Amino acid sequence: MIDGKTLKMDQALALPARRITDLLSSGLEARAKSKRQAMDQPRNDPDQELVRRTQAGEASAFDDLVIKYTPRLYGLVYNMTSNHEDTNDLLQDVFAKAYKAIRGFRGKSSFYTWIHSIAVNMTLNFLKKRGRRFQLSLDDVDASIQNDKEFMEATATSSPVREADLSELQRRLNEAMMKLSDDHRAVVTMFHIQGMPHAEISKILRVSEGTVRSRLFYANRQLQNYLDEFRKNPVS
Amino acid sequence: MDEFNDNEIARLLRLKRYEQPPPGYFENFLHEFHRRQRDELLRQPLWRICLERARGFMSQLDMRSLASYPTAVAAVLVCAAVISLKVYQPPETARIAVQSRPILSAPANAEEEWSLASPVATHIFRTQPVRSFYGSFQTHRAAPPRYVLDSVPVSYEPTFRF
Repeated sequence: MIDGKTLKMDQALALPARRITDLLSSGLEARAKSKRQAMDQPRNDPDQELVRRTQAGEASAFDDLVIKYTPRLYGLVYNMTSNHEDTNDLLQDVFAKAYKAIRGFRGKSSFYTWIHSIAVNMTLNFLKKRGRRFQLSLDDVDASIQNDKEFMEATATSSPVREADLSELQRRLNEAMMKLSDDHRAVVTMFHIQGMPHAEISKILRVSEGTVRSRLFYANRQLQNYLDEFRKNPVS
Repeated sequence: MDEFNDNEIARLLRLKRYEQPPPGYFENFLHEFHRRQRDELLRQPLWRICLERARGFMSQLDMRSLASYPTAVAAVLVCAAVISLKVYQPPETARIAVQSRPILSAPANAEEEWSLASPVATHIFRTQPVRSFYGSFQTHRAAPPRYVLDSVPVSYEPTFRF
């Protein structure tokens, strides 16, 4: 295809050799460009400047990154561990590790993906060591939930009984989450709670998008079965 | 009874975003992070701290050749040698005592000797190479200093007349 027109073989062969070479090289260049774009090489990483300054030795730049990512990473780690104290310790270790390793960060992925990978991997390693010996240490629900549209819909009848049911349901949901395997809980946390797209989750976990979707499907079924059981037998 | 569908599950899970740590947690997190970093740094041995600093210095210079690593090691060794010399340096008093000239007595006219060019300490230690530093300062004006190790007790000396 040249200039938008598709050529026949005999027409293509009739072109001068130099023209053919130019066409081939421009085609190869276009392919390389699209491949680069397809690869995970963000060009407009919003944290690029902070990362560059941190790598140059400016510790205050890393402080800004800590302030920026602490709330988000807290939610991720907390919902995987369901324990506030463990979350605090893990989060400290995550940032400590990130600070030590940031000099080796080459920008092949965004800083967001990179630090989430560290957080998820460290949490999964921690959960494997912790095993089944854990204690739930849940945070309180923030009062701003009252303004949440979905919460208002869920408690539309404004009945105290309904709100109590919802509170109990949330508690059961937390228990159901802990019954999932660590890998399934990770994808549920990232997709449903953190609101990450499948593509981002696949980059963080270094698995295919298909694997992410299948894990989500299986986890949803598990949660559904457990909560259905609760609904049928609400008295524990 | 209705079963939970995916949408209901998703909605319940999204409400978990409102489970938050106690107030002030995020504000204090950075302080806690700094504190832990300081504690970890203090736990490290000195040679490791020097090595980390050297690495950071080299990375700032952007020296990627293999020669930079031996240079960094050499710099660390030099730092360690300097620090060890500082730490294990013998006290000034012993050095001065070794370098002092042994004389039997101080001259009668001691005033000219008490100039800035001849500090008090050298006069005190002049008789013997190794003596107690805490000689008697009271006897320095007109008589040679006496030491505890002298054979004649101080009380047997003639009194001084001014």
